[in-house]
Amino acid sequence: MDTIAYLRYYLYYVASYIRFIVSFVASKLEKYPTEVKVAAVIAVLCVFTMFVLFVRMLIMSGYRKSLRLLREHTEETYGDAMRFLLSSEAPDQMSKVEICELFGIDPTVDDEPLKKSKEKKVFAEVFYNLFINEKAENARMSNIHSMLEVFGISEHLEKEVSLGSKRRKVDALNMIRAYGLSISPWIINKLLNSKNLRLQRLAMYTVIVSSSDSTMDYFETEFFDNNSCIKDEIELAYSLNRRRKAGLKLPNLARWAHMHKREFTQCLFVRLMRRFNQVEYCDQLRDLFVPGNKKKLIEEISRTWGYLHYVDGEQLLIDSLLTQPDDTKVAILHALTRFGTGRGMDAMLDGFRHSLNPHVRYEALRCLYNYGDEGRRAFEKLELESSEADAHYFSFFHNPITLAKVRLDREQAYHPSVETVLNG
Amino acid sequence: MWLTLYYIFCYLIFTYTLAMIVTYVIMVCMSKISQKKLEINMPDDNTIKFLLRGSPLTPAVSVIAPAYNEEVVIIDCVNSLLNLDYPDYEVVLVNDESTDRTLEILIEEYKLIEVPYDIAMRVQCKPIKRVMKSTDERYSKLVLVDKVHGGTKADGSNAGINVCSNKYFVCTDVDCIIEPMALYRMMWHVVNSPKPMIGVGATMLMSNGCTVQDGRLVRAEVSNRPLPLFQQLEYMRSFLISKLGWSAINALPNISGGFGLFDTDIAVKSGGYDPSSFAEDVDMLLRMVTYMKNHNLDFKLAMVPEACCWTEGPGTVRQLFRQRTRWARGLFEIVSNHRKLFFNPHYGPIGALTMPYIFIFEFLAPILEMIGFLFMIWLTPTGGVNWRSAIVVFGMIYLFCLFIASAVIYNDYQIKAVNWKSKRMNYFKLMVASVLEPFVYHPFQTVCSNIGYLRFIRNTRAVWTPIQRQGFKKKDQ
Repeated sequence: MDTIAYLRYYLYYVASYIRFIVSFVASKLEKYPTEVKVAAVIAVLCVFTMFVLFVRMLIMSGYRKSLRLLREHTEETYGDAMRFLLSSEAPDQMSKVEICELFGIDPTVDDEPLKKSKEKKVFAEVFYNLFINEKAENARMSNIHSMLEVFGISEHLEKEVSLGSKRRKVDALNMIRAYGLSISPWIINKLLNSKNLRLQRLAMYTVIVSSSDSTMDYFETEFFDNNSCIKDEIELAYSLNRRRKAGLKLPNLARWAHMHKREFTQCLFVRLMRRFNQVEYCDQLRDLFVPGNKKKLIEEISRTWGYLHYVDGEQLLIDSLLTQPDDTKVAILHALTRFGTGRGMDAMLDGFRHSLNPHVRYEALRCLYNYGDEGRRAFEKLELESSEADAHYFSFFHNPITLAKVRLDREQAYHPSVETVLNG
Repeated sequence: MWLTLYYIFCYLIFTYTLAMIVTYVIMVCMSKISQKKLEINMPDDNTIKFLLRGSPLTPAVSVIAPAYNEEVVIIDCVNSLLNLDYPDYEVVLVNDESTDRTLEILIEEYKLIEVPYDIAMRVQCKPIKRVMKSTDERYSKLVLVDKVHGGTKADGSNAGINVCSNKYFVCTDVDCIIEPMALYRMMWHVVNSPKPMIGVGATMLMSNGCTVQDGRLVRAEVSNRPLPLFQQLEYMRSFLISKLGWSAINALPNISGGFGLFDTDIAVKSGGYDPSSFAEDVDMLLRMVTYMKNHNLDFKLAMVPEACCWTEGPGTVRQLFRQRTRWARGLFEIVSNHRKLFFNPHYGPIGALTMPYIFIFEFLAPILEMIGFLFMIWLTPTGGVNWRSAIVVFGMIYLFCLFIASAVIYNDYQIKAVNWKSKRMNYFKLMVASVLEPFVYHPFQTVCSNIGYLRFIRNTRAVWTPIQRQGFKKKDQ
């Protein structure tokens, strides 16, 4: 009560002091023209704003210092235990008692080790930073869930998602997704309908990780179609990978490619198919392979078929090769190399002989070079037959530095070994 | 009649000053809006790295650095570029036929040999003599382009664009030290935009006074010397208020030539850098914007507020004078070459707002200031100055300058744009600089700008003289 009375008195004092200054300045300026009055008002406002900025900086500095100290304390007290929990050495299915022992807590004395919300926020932040920096792919998620429960972090994160500011919601959703925690449906539904794009997307990605339903119909939205970008693909891949690790069935990505209309979004799902080895759905992409329509999509489908060894599509690719734009031709040639059936040899030779684009010619040669013994023989024969003007194409295959880049299997970006790529 | 003219002029200047103050306040507010947007859409460095590092979808980048007679700093620079933390990038170093030992040092240090290279001359530049790569696997990201002397940075950058093999390129200077996280931060904007991102700028500050070790900045500090100190404040004001503010409405007028990311394809279609231009960075960006708008293509421009690049600024008055007169000529050139953009809503917010702002408040300001100053000198002996009123008006302008400096420092503190060694000490130095700037640095700049304009009008031939490098302060020094 005393504090409130003091605060009231203090505010009253400050207000009367400001009133005094304003009336003092006004009385002094009475005889001056308008422009001088305007200048004086602006000057006073500048001084006032500078004072406000200075005070805000002081307050922020105090808050940041307290957070820093708390962070240091948390790292010092629990850092080693957190690292052990994230390592592969931690035993599977640790009980809450074992977790308490690891973190040096006596559950009979202290049933709530972190009492303040600020402590929980810092603990969650420190653990999350370790989680994403320590290559925690081998960490046992069940242990992490138990630990989060012991420290009341799961509850805290849910509270942050429902009541926090936008930034805090984003941070909390990132953590929930990373640990694969489940969240109340009413909170997540609210976020799935949020007007804020970032929150809505994050809510979608969070549901993907733990949803028992693999159809996930909420992806059938125009909203997602019109606003998707590369980051969405990265985040989707991450969420799908976490889902797979949790042992849940992955959705049919070819179906999602059909559901959307924008070419970028369709390409996004086709690329994800090859990253998640969805060979069984390759057949469904034949409807989308319409030469002359959506060239980027055709290119992605060709790559996906190549990587997933969908040999049934080889003839379709060979037939459409000559009518495709240059970038798609390269994708088709790469796919034929990966099939390695021998039927693509003529297409490669044609690619080199009849194309005008130097990039396509070089890539055709590269595919031939990588097309087994038969391909290598054809390459050598072609080199002997080639004119002097074409000699520079072959020079790339003789220099040790450039030769290192000739091998197709070094192209990690297209390889569907999700485990290495995502967790590496 | 003279008295009427006198009053008209006085009121015109007063209105102009008020308009400028209002515009700056709006700019401060816009920078805050930009910050708020970034708060939601830009996660912390760890999360960005976590998501982009592991993904094969993270776009590859080419870092282009033209060099001419840079033997003092070249190794630090290349090490800084090779130490960048990014999963897929190449460093394209362009040697513009240096007359010192730059090329020899590079060949020796990085074990470079000539390799065949597929070069498409997509933009105009002097002939490329050879392309070299390292035999050492550790330096496999490095590509050295040895070309015929073009005499300008733009020509070197164009050669780099012709050789680079990625969809995006970053153009930088050899005297720049780049923060390891810089590419991640810039590329986050690229992957996070549903519209094609044609350019991303980043905050660039002065490295004078900072400590560098193995091509990495280990201690960020504001220089104790007055010239770099004033320039530091000026750079911070430009990046943390002006550019950040414009980026809120997709109207960024300039992505610094010292460190900026561009879409290679759009840059090529717009003709690349103009070797004859004095403001090749602004010029190219405006041409890219014009290209996109003329073809009715959607695009986005973004700005990273965190300090990503540190550059060595002119350390002497002579060097600074040269640089600033060149910039003034560049500004005049931009105003005359891109006049079709002014007040033209077809070119979006850049045409409707940014270009008029540049013309009214950046191009005209030094001219009006100079006229006002001469007018004051003429009026003083005749007793035509009301000193009491003049002091109040000058006081307002002075306090407003201090307010802007405080806003810059506040923004820096809130965004954590720079990881200063000692925040208090550096902010104190910047505040001292802001107190002195209107009396010392600003009049100097006004004179430089007016001389630059005069030289542009008289079409005096300008010679690009690179600043004398001091080299970086090492940790053990």
